[in-house]
Amino acid sequence: MLHHVAADNPRLHALDGTAEAPPKARSYWQTVRYRLRHDYLTLVFGSVVLLIMLSALCAPLLAPADPYQTSMIARLKPFGYKGHLLGTDELGRDMFSRLLYGGRVSLTMGMVPVMLATVMGGSLGIIAGYAGKHLNMAIMRIMDVFFAFPSILLAVAISGTMGGGLRNGMLALTLVFIPPLCRVAETATTQVSHLDFVEAARASGAGLGSIIWHHILGNVLGPVLVYASSLVSVSILIASGLSFLGLGVEPPTPDWGLMLNTLRQAIYIAPSLAALPGVVIFITSICFNLLSDGLRAAMDVRM
Amino acid sequence: MRTRSLGCLGLCMLVLIGRAMLQQVSAETVLRVAMTAGDVPITIGQPDQGFEGYRFVGYNLYDSLILWDLSRSDVVADLRPGLATSWKVDPADPHRWIIALRQGVKFHDGCAFTAADVVWNFDRVTNEKAPQFHPKQFALIRDRTNNMEKVEALDDYTIALTTRQVDALLPYQLSYWFMISRCRLESLKHDYAAYQRQPSGTGPYKFAKFIPQERLELVKNSDYWDTRRIPKHDRLVLIPMPEATTRAAALLSNQVDFVEAPLPDTIPKLKSAGMQVVTNGYPHNWAYQFNFVDGAFKDIRVRKAANLALNRADMKELLRGYMIESYATLLPSMPYYGEPSFKITYDPKQATALLKEAGCYPCKITLAISTSGSGQMQPLPMNELVKAQLEAVGFKVKLEVMDWNALLDLVRPGRTKAPEVDAINVSRSMQDPFSALIRHVYSKQHAPAGSNWGHYSNPAVDALIEEIYATFDPQAQLAKLTKLNEMMTDDAVMLWVVHDVNPRALHPRAQGFVQAQSWFQDVTPIRIVD
Amino acid sequence: MTAYIIRRVLYALPIALGVSMVCFTLIYLAPGNPLQTLLPENASAETIDMIKKAYGLDKPIPLQYLTWLSRAITGDLGISIASGRKVSEEIAKALSNTMILATGAIGLSFSLAFILGVTAGYLNGSWADRVVTGMAVMGVSVPNYWLGMLLIIFFAVELQLLPAAGMGPQGSSTFSVFNPQHLRHVLLPVVTLSMIPMGIIARTTRAAVAETLNQDFVQTLRAKGLKARTVAGHVIKNALPQILAVMGLQFGYLLGGSILVETVFTWPGTGFLLNKAILTRDIPVLQGVTLMLATFFVATNLLVDLLQTAVNPRMQRH
Repeated sequence: MLHHVAADNPRLHALDGTAEAPPKARSYWQTVRYRLRHDYLTLVFGSVVLLIMLSALCAPLLAPADPYQTSMIARLKPFGYKGHLLGTDELGRDMFSRLLYGGRVSLTMGMVPVMLATVMGGSLGIIAGYAGKHLNMAIMRIMDVFFAFPSILLAVAISGTMGGGLRNGMLALTLVFIPPLCRVAETATTQVSHLDFVEAARASGAGLGSIIWHHILGNVLGPVLVYASSLVSVSILIASGLSFLGLGVEPPTPDWGLMLNTLRQAIYIAPSLAALPGVVIFITSICFNLLSDGLRAAMDVRM
Repeated sequence: MRTRSLGCLGLCMLVLIGRAMLQQVSAETVLRVAMTAGDVPITIGQPDQGFEGYRFVGYNLYDSLILWDLSRSDVVADLRPGLATSWKVDPADPHRWIIALRQGVKFHDGCAFTAADVVWNFDRVTNEKAPQFHPKQFALIRDRTNNMEKVEALDDYTIALTTRQVDALLPYQLSYWFMISRCRLESLKHDYAAYQRQPSGTGPYKFAKFIPQERLELVKNSDYWDTRRIPKHDRLVLIPMPEATTRAAALLSNQVDFVEAPLPDTIPKLKSAGMQVVTNGYPHNWAYQFNFVDGAFKDIRVRKAANLALNRADMKELLRGYMIESYATLLPSMPYYGEPSFKITYDPKQATALLKEAGCYPCKITLAISTSGSGQMQPLPMNELVKAQLEAVGFKVKLEVMDWNALLDLVRPGRTKAPEVDAINVSRSMQDPFSALIRHVYSKQHAPAGSNWGHYSNPAVDALIEEIYATFDPQAQLAKLTKLNEMMTDDAVMLWVVHDVNPRALHPRAQGFVQAQSWFQDVTPIRIVD
Repeated sequence: MTAYIIRRVLYALPIALGVSMVCFTLIYLAPGNPLQTLLPENASAETIDMIKKAYGLDKPIPLQYLTWLSRAITGDLGISIASGRKVSEEIAKALSNTMILATGAIGLSFSLAFILGVTAGYLNGSWADRVVTGMAVMGVSVPNYWLGMLLIIFFAVELQLLPAAGMGPQGSSTFSVFNPQHLRHVLLPVVTLSMIPMGIIARTTRAAVAETLNQDFVQTLRAKGLKARTVAGHVIKNALPQILAVMGLQFGYLLGGSILVETVFTWPGTGFLLNKAILTRDIPVLQGVTLMLATFFVATNLLVDLLQTAVNPRMQRH
């Protein structure tokens, strides 16, 4: 996939035979932006994702109640009870507030590992792709070892042995996502690093940093970002799974996966309450997924 | 032709009817029980998984010398003769107990039960050099056997048990000690791993099948010596189900007939589905035992602050009323409750003041808790509530959550092996004065020798306990026990929260269950009526 | 061809070795020192010595790893701290139970995904295509343990049609695939587990079919006048290697990633065992299960690769 792609320009296909001077070719990123702007579905999902992230960020402003305030007489109340928009949980705390604050933990636990893994895995991949055969093999073999673990198994094994907790969970997830991102970056880098214009740049004495910045990064960024965006929904699911197993944050910290766990007891009295955190996880995950799909279509990436 | 085909038809019908009748006759009645334990309790004698192991495996496969009378629900359960028919102190030496054994009792493998078996079983849990010794069995009952010095057979059906220290409460200790079959273990060359799959005792049930982590199946022992307690069903299936919601779902979807500790939140649904929900008071204490040596709780002000911080009425709401608020180790209805001067109320201001006075503000503490277990009620939501209430007055609480058996394993060696833990949440039995009071505060019971996990040491308390041991007169003993309860309450030796009411849910087809006021229950009278 | 097979197998060996190294280091990740994590409480001095020797804990770390590895290869994965039984025994039983779920889930997901994916691939761009893609995305976005809970509420508690937990009315030892009573226990966990693979396989199938349809040889076949059905057959045969590859990968994922669903349904498989090992801090079991599952995954990947190449020699990876 090349850096510069001539966009479809209708004027080039004018049938009147007039030889017009071809206009400036649209840059790749301009094409991406164009495509995105006209892909309404992706824009919708993108806005939903933005909405979810903003609401989590502004939780202190939006939450109607203190997410830690318990009230034994108002346990497991239905939607709309006395101002509780989404009811109360098993200790009488306002569900809406807890979902908002829970988004902070769940989204952090979902997104931060992916971001860290993108930076670390991406860098490793670029190094592996650009470097000589031996370094490449060494790095990729090590990545293959971690690839040999199903993601949730590795996440559970690492955070389980370390005793659980938010920090260990994020560490485990980062380790899980570095190998696939590294592989994507490496593939993209090797495709370009031996092309003519890169050789030319090397021959003309350009520094390593400048070569990577100007020629390689642009090629790699597209696939890596698309893949990373698809990983966010997986990360949110695995992170909530870890919390569900008790390996995430400790109660009473609000967190969607942990809430699903503690609300299990409510499935006989208020099944809709018990299902609520799951609905939120589901929606967030779908939106990230579809957003990532839209990005892939816009960036024309073949995975 | 027609007659032949008619004849064939008739024969077929006879065969089918006969088979149906045979199936009816040979249809086995099965009682399926869902336990809160995370795994099947071990069958090699003293069970693990806490008192649930005793309840469903220990007292079913085996008997002890003295048993509990679990046949009535209107009085607190007390002792009755088991494999021993009488027991009394030797008038010449109060250290020595003469115990007469029941005659004509056979183990499941056919061997007869005699005094030699009692001596052999004593070595099994005390004598490291004996081939039948098992270190974990020793550890499991150590707090009750550490006062037993020796056991000798006076004749085939009489034994003499000598205690190190005079102990008027010995009969209670004997009720927890099971007799396993020497014949069987010796025939297996003392291989406990093999014995686990072929246990042999004298109890009302025999071993049938064991699938690790999934189920234990026992069948009725039709030759049981106590004919009133021969099980009224053919097979008892024990299934570990630590998740409360899974237990409720299993009962509702007809996978089990008898469920331990259903979630209070699910009880309305169970009742509306026609299940029987039974409760009864029993000598149970859901509390936290403190670490008196390392950490914040060595200061009595911090201990009192924790007790004053709890809003026990809120806990009652959480459990939908299925509990009794606890302000001391004992239930107020128990005869030796007394009048402690430390009166616990919900007083968060006073709690904060005490913490500030003690110089522990915010006061960082770590509580070790379990996810489920015998008598632990609903540990996760309850602990969340306790944590919230403690933090509201100035504590900073960290919860260390683990599996029930893992918590017991952490607790048994004592506070020296877990100095970072400030309190443990292990529900305790108060069935007898030793279990209720003595084992938590006696310095001779410092874990791992006994249940005094946090190594509480008070010379005045020790002296009182020694007096109690030496007092055989019931009235005098009662007065001293009362004083002990008062001293323990005034010294805030535990963080008291609630007493359980032992809810259980049964399918309507399980008839005849009498819920005793005890940690132990007798399931033998249950009939399966379809 | 055989040279390729040998090369591929040799390539997998260092991976397996690396996997074992990662599993070995798990002991050092646990808080406290390794001896503490390996010992049951109340261990006598003899037991402590025995464990020290068995694990080589008094030797330098590389030697420890080799000791552990040599025992693991012979099948000795140590003793479970919580139960006192051999780890390999517990895993063997649990693995066979998980296999039942994984096989069922792959079968179900593959059947559904295949039909959906081929349809979508053929009807590329139409609303049917979007519906299928939408369903696939939903499949991979749902937290499957939550779905399991919902299914339990609906089918086990409300409708009382299916059992809520466990593996058969008499436990796993009598479980038989041919017994409809036992199959009722399998249904809900299998459906839950098949959601994610269904989504992934459907998408891959759709992409593979659509891509194949675009290739020249399809035009050629059509031009030759072959019936649509025959053409479809060729298209599917061409797309099959990719689909099978994903299926194989998903099977491996299911084996290793079933912990959440097994916890919800109390299914006595490897995931459930892993969960218990974490709760009881039983490191030998945790190590053993992780090693076993990861090794299985490597083997599955290898097998899938070889099969792919057998079907389509052009797909040899360098």
